[in-house]
Amino acid sequence: MDNLKEELKKHIIEQLNLEDVRVEDIADSDLLFDQSGLGLDSIDALELIVLLEKFYGIQVTKPEEGKEAFRSIETMAQYIRKRKTAV
Amino acid sequence: MSFITTYCHITDRNCYLNGKLVASFDPGSSDSWLKQLYKFNNVTYPKFYKMDTLSQCGYLASEFIKASNPDRFTSYADDRIAMVFANRCSSAESDIRFQNSYEVLQTPSPAMFVYTLPNIVIGEIAIANKWYGENMFAVLPKFAPDFFINYAEILFSSGSEAVLAGWLDVTEVKVNAFVILLEKNTGGIKSNIVNLTELIEEAFT
Repeated sequence: MDNLKEELKKHIIEQLNLEDVRVEDIADSDLLFDQSGLGLDSIDALELIVLLEKFYGIQVTKPEEGKEAFRSIETMAQYIRKRKTAV
Repeated sequence: MSFITTYCHITDRNCYLNGKLVASFDPGSSDSWLKQLYKFNNVTYPKFYKMDTLSQCGYLASEFIKASNPDRFTSYADDRIAMVFANRCSSAESDIRFQNSYEVLQTPSPAMFVYTLPNIVIGEIAIANKWYGENMFAVLPKFAPDFFINYAEILFSSGSEAVLAGWLDVTEVKVNAFVILLEKNTGGIKSNIVNLTELIEEAFT
């Protein structure tokens, strides 16, 4: 089990108040901003940016980076690892 | 001529529809009172959980009114249903929470920030129902029946066919929402200041 992905799912559920969603409901490849996935909106995107800074000390300064990073849990985890190793 | 056709009153512990008790706070539940009402209403709208308490309260009152006669709203064009709400505390509850998020927690929350205006409750109801009618939110020192009756008449005279209106006073410790549906030529309680005052006095005592 990938701890980072599980941790991310927990943070997202908590920070975004996804009351009816459980960690096991979110697949690593689910599209976060698609109705087939979590159906997040633009305000949620801002919350994800805050989440990355709050829990991982990562600032998303380039919009194009965020667009790719926030596609799924998989891409978020990859983005966090990439930014952490770049430090 | 317009009429008050449905009214919903939500207090700290009870919810009434047309004067009849429909739900009461369950002290044994781990859910908040408004969450209990959401589950009671049996509506699936996940965005409810993201709303502030003011929006949750307005949304719930509108859903109870809709549920009392599901066909009622579908007979109106989406731009003919207007909304007029008011309260005493504006969005103070969310303002304080947002202030706390950046002053104490050091992480300003965008999701809280979007609720730091009282009229967001109107947006939430409009989005949930895809209504595009006239709307306004007023901050008043107390419930003023003449404000709602007179403003509704202006809306009716300019093309609105139904007006969802009411008082939404929601703070951390108190919930007091009284929402009415006003319609033209339908029958019901005649829409005037005396009748609305009577309904309010009956509800608030």
